Amino acid sequence: MLRDISAAIIRHTALSRRHLTPELVLRLITPECPLWRAKEDESPFRDPFWAFYWPGGQATARYILDNQDLVKDRNVLDIGCGCGAGSIAAAKMKAKYVLANDIDHYALAATHLNANLNGVLIDTSSKNLIGTKCEEFNVILIGDMFYDDDFSHTLFEWLIKLHEAGKTILIGDPGRHGLTEKRRRHVQMLAEYKMPRESQEENNGFTKTKVWKLNKLI
Amino acid sequence: MSRVLVGVKRVIDYAVKIRVKPDKSGVVTDGVKHSMNPFDEIAVEEAVRMKEKKLASEVIAVSCGPSQAQETLRTALAMGADRAIHVEVAGAEYDTLQPIHVAKILAKLSQDEKADLVIVGKQAIDDDSNQTAQMTAALLDWPQGTFASKIEKTDGALTITREIDGGLEVIKTKIPAVLSADLRLNEPRYATLPNIMKAKKKPLKKVSAKDLGVDLAPRIKVVSVEDPPVRQAGSIIPDVDTLVAKLKEGGHV
Repeated sequence: MLRDISAAIIRHTALSRRHLTPELVLRLITPECPLWRAKEDESPFRDPFWAFYWPGGQATARYILDNQDLVKDRNVLDIGCGCGAGSIAAAKMKAKYVLANDIDHYALAATHLNANLNGVLIDTSSKNLIGTKCEEFNVILIGDMFYDDDFSHTLFEWLIKLHEAGKTILIGDPGRHGLTEKRRRHVQMLAEYKMPRESQEENNGFTKTKVWKLNKLI
Repeated sequence: MSRVLVGVKRVIDYAVKIRVKPDKSGVVTDGVKHSMNPFDEIAVEEAVRMKEKKLASEVIAVSCGPSQAQETLRTALAMGADRAIHVEVAGAEYDTLQPIHVAKILAKLSQDEKADLVIVGKQAIDDDSNQTAQMTAALLDWPQGTFASKIEKTDGALTITREIDGGLEVIKTKIPAVLSADLRLNEPRYATLPNIMKAKKKPLKKVSAKDLGVDLAPRIKVVSVEDPPVRQAGSIIPDVDTLVAKLKEGGHV
């Protein structure tokens, strides 16, 4: 089955470096791919979130590649890994262990393909880890997951607990509605990047993407 | 930074051949392809460009209609609107929904949402009323810039180029204001798959006209809807002399 999934991913995607982390080559649905302009019902994949490099994911990966100390010799968990770029960046920056997590099997297959393209090996898990203690991890990556109201609530409550347990929480987000003003009071901006043109075209209305670190509650 | 409210209407697609109902009460809508009113697409595009240029902080799309209006709102969200409000109007009330009602709804929502700018299409391609922007401005007592083909923001004011008979007119208005988009304002973007996917998760709130305190009793009665007269066939004339003779005969020269 993994083989079929991988074959389908290869068939419908193209190799891309046109993003904030050009040192990583990633299989994505790009403007050259027919699916880019497809309607939802024409896509062979249901919600192919992994096929696009979300601005929040780009920001966290960029930040990791520029700030090796954050992940070096530490255990990194990439929640909602999508195409796997955050995990790949952490592995490249010599994290001790990296686990890419996504409940979508297609995302994990894409992560394996992309890890392979970039010469790293990544463990993956399809378990829903949200709400768990994640005891073995020091750094948690959240690349662009504040796109849904209800989910944002669950996610943020959990992240606060992980933060209280001493973990570093990195959030990449271009300013989606789930990262509300109230929640923003608990995060500190580490970096801001201008989104590449292609990424802006995938995210109508957004031009910048940011990395935030969860801080102590006020 | 301002908040922009954009009105979007679900209409019969521009490419569909319109058929009048046999009882002349309206046109056939069942089983017919619908899409966003093209002038409203231009309005959405302009609002999203304002957001991208940091001239606007948030874009809210509003549509009045049955549940299918949500499809139109999703398109607006895919084009880049941040959130949507569906004002549910269905059945008989929808059949008699008129610009005055939509204007009252937009005016109320503009106040509730603290909007600084309302942008709508200059008219909908189904009823061609061309009234909503004007009425909304009147109800809010805000300045209006209708048939806009260019909108520029200059220190708290707007410079609007309007398409008028025989040329262009440039006006300046203060904000808040109501604008209507003409054809040449911009070329709306296509909603691509990555944007459609992300739009599914954007907030969409449903309210009723009653929630907003708007009375939907019709103010206009449609007496009859009829097909335009069938055009008479033309004829080919062999030479100029015959043409001149024919024109004289018809009393045209």
